Amino acid sequence: MAKFMYIFRGGGYATPGALSPSELQQHLSRWNDWTNGLLKAGRHLGGQPLAHPPTGKTLRGRERSVTDGPYAESKDLVSGTVIVEAASLEEAAQLARDCPIFELDGSVEVRPVLQVPNG
Amino acid sequence: MGDGMESAGPSELVEDLFRREWTHLVAALVRLLGPAQLALAEDLVHDSLLSALQAWQLGPPDNPKAWLLQTAKHRAIDRIRRDRRFEAARPELGSEWTLARAVELALSPEADAENQLALMFAICDEALSPETHVTLILRLLCGLSAAEIARAFLVDVQTIDRRLHRARTRLEQLSELGDPRSAAELRARQPSLEQALYLLFNEGYHGASAEAPLQPATCADALRLAELLLSLDAEARPRVHALAALFCFNSARLATRVDDEGVFLPLGEQDRSRWNRDLLERGIRHLGSSAEGATLTRWHLEAGIAFEHTRAPSVRETDWERIVAYYDALLGLAPSPVVALNRGLALAELQGLDAGRAALAALADEPKLATYSFFWAGRADIERRAGRNVEARAFYQRAAVCARSAAERRSYERRLREFELCSVRRPDR
Repeated sequence: MAKFMYIFRGGGYATPGALSPSELQQHLSRWNDWTNGLLKAGRHLGGQPLAHPPTGKTLRGRERSVTDGPYAESKDLVSGTVIVEAASLEEAAQLARDCPIFELDGSVEVRPVLQVPNG
Repeated sequence: MGDGMESAGPSELVEDLFRREWTHLVAALVRLLGPAQLALAEDLVHDSLLSALQAWQLGPPDNPKAWLLQTAKHRAIDRIRRDRRFEAARPELGSEWTLARAVELALSPEADAENQLALMFAICDEALSPETHVTLILRLLCGLSAAEIARAFLVDVQTIDRRLHRARTRLEQLSELGDPRSAAELRARQPSLEQALYLLFNEGYHGASAEAPLQPATCADALRLAELLLSLDAEARPRVHALAALFCFNSARLATRVDDEGVFLPLGEQDRSRWNRDLLERGIRHLGSSAEGATLTRWHLEAGIAFEHTRAPSVRETDWERIVAYYDALLGLAPSPVVALNRGLALAELQGLDAGRAALAALADEPKLATYSFFWAGRADIERRAGRNVEARAFYQRAAVCARSAAERRSYERRLREFELCSVRRPDR
């Protein structure tokens, strides 16, 4: 088994105002179902949702020039990460297919975590 | 790997937690910050819900309601600190000593009923149409999105957005919400408020929306808001009890109005054993209290009619004489073609199909009924029962064209199919 990182972008995080409270709660409950499915299967190794509204600072280059806020269009804003365990990149991508973020036109980037060989 | 988390399991959220908290927090913040800050109040609450969406992805916290309250409180305090405008309007918001306390008091559960009442009265402004009152109540006090309201009214989202925009602009001119307990000019709005709740309930009950889940919630909201009104004016209380009774009796029948295939069922075909006992009893208590006033209102008569239907064991054993008498009184108090139509249908039960047919035929020139599906369905039912299938079929076709919801249209189409089966079979016999 190998580790993979899901990087979530867009979704409810990026569409303020469009959903009613009930729709938000239903969306949340589908997130809970999806996450709990991964937890029960022993695939979910932990997650890191980011605060809303999206604030932050970006430091860049040798100058360490600082800009306020995350540096992206709202649909490209990272809203959180999750680490999962899967046999292959294909399986990790397959596990992400049921993520509710797609209902709101968000994206999940699936990246293999670097495995450091035991010395 | 997920050890411990599996056994603990996620705590279940109350089904309408977000909707209820939206209503509670929006009303509280509009009251605290003033109607001019309506958009800001909505944003603050929506952001708090979105925070929960982020933070609860592994499951809700132990006390989700308290979590939302705290989040909204912190967001409001942060926002007020950054903006000097609030200080000018409300000095207690300008000092660190009093700011947190003022926000806490505004958001406390004890202040909730008052806040929602104050917002309701502000919404039912004479300068806005009854349609707009209902739209604003659906948005601010029931937590529907513009898209959901548009689906309920069968109009496009832009229409609702424009209506909300005009209404917000009007509300934003007010310096404060005002206290319906003491301000006489607000209390004068009580009749329009009752009318708005009546329309709100009907939107849930007869609404055009094909999405059934919205409807019981809308009916429940109308009842909840009517019961809030009871705390106010002692003089108006019997009237509001009558309105609440009407909502209870009709809500009790909601679950049996559509069959498993999503087809609207007429009263005669509903399973009366499945009517909600709790709501029926709650309705009877309201009806009892409604009798304490000196005046007989429209709501009293409508609640009386609904009560007669719910207490009868069948359509045949219904006290049609009393129902026709209620409709006669209602025609005197609040005449409308729809009331006349319903009276005609009751008359068909009391005096026979010919009397009913004549009463309905007399309404044929009412422009309001020309596109009202229940008028055509009522005429169709009478002709079907009289065995005049040609007339019945033409009326059902007309009803199907005017039907506002798919469930309703399917019920007329089902009748039309029954005729086809009959006419196919008949030559064989």
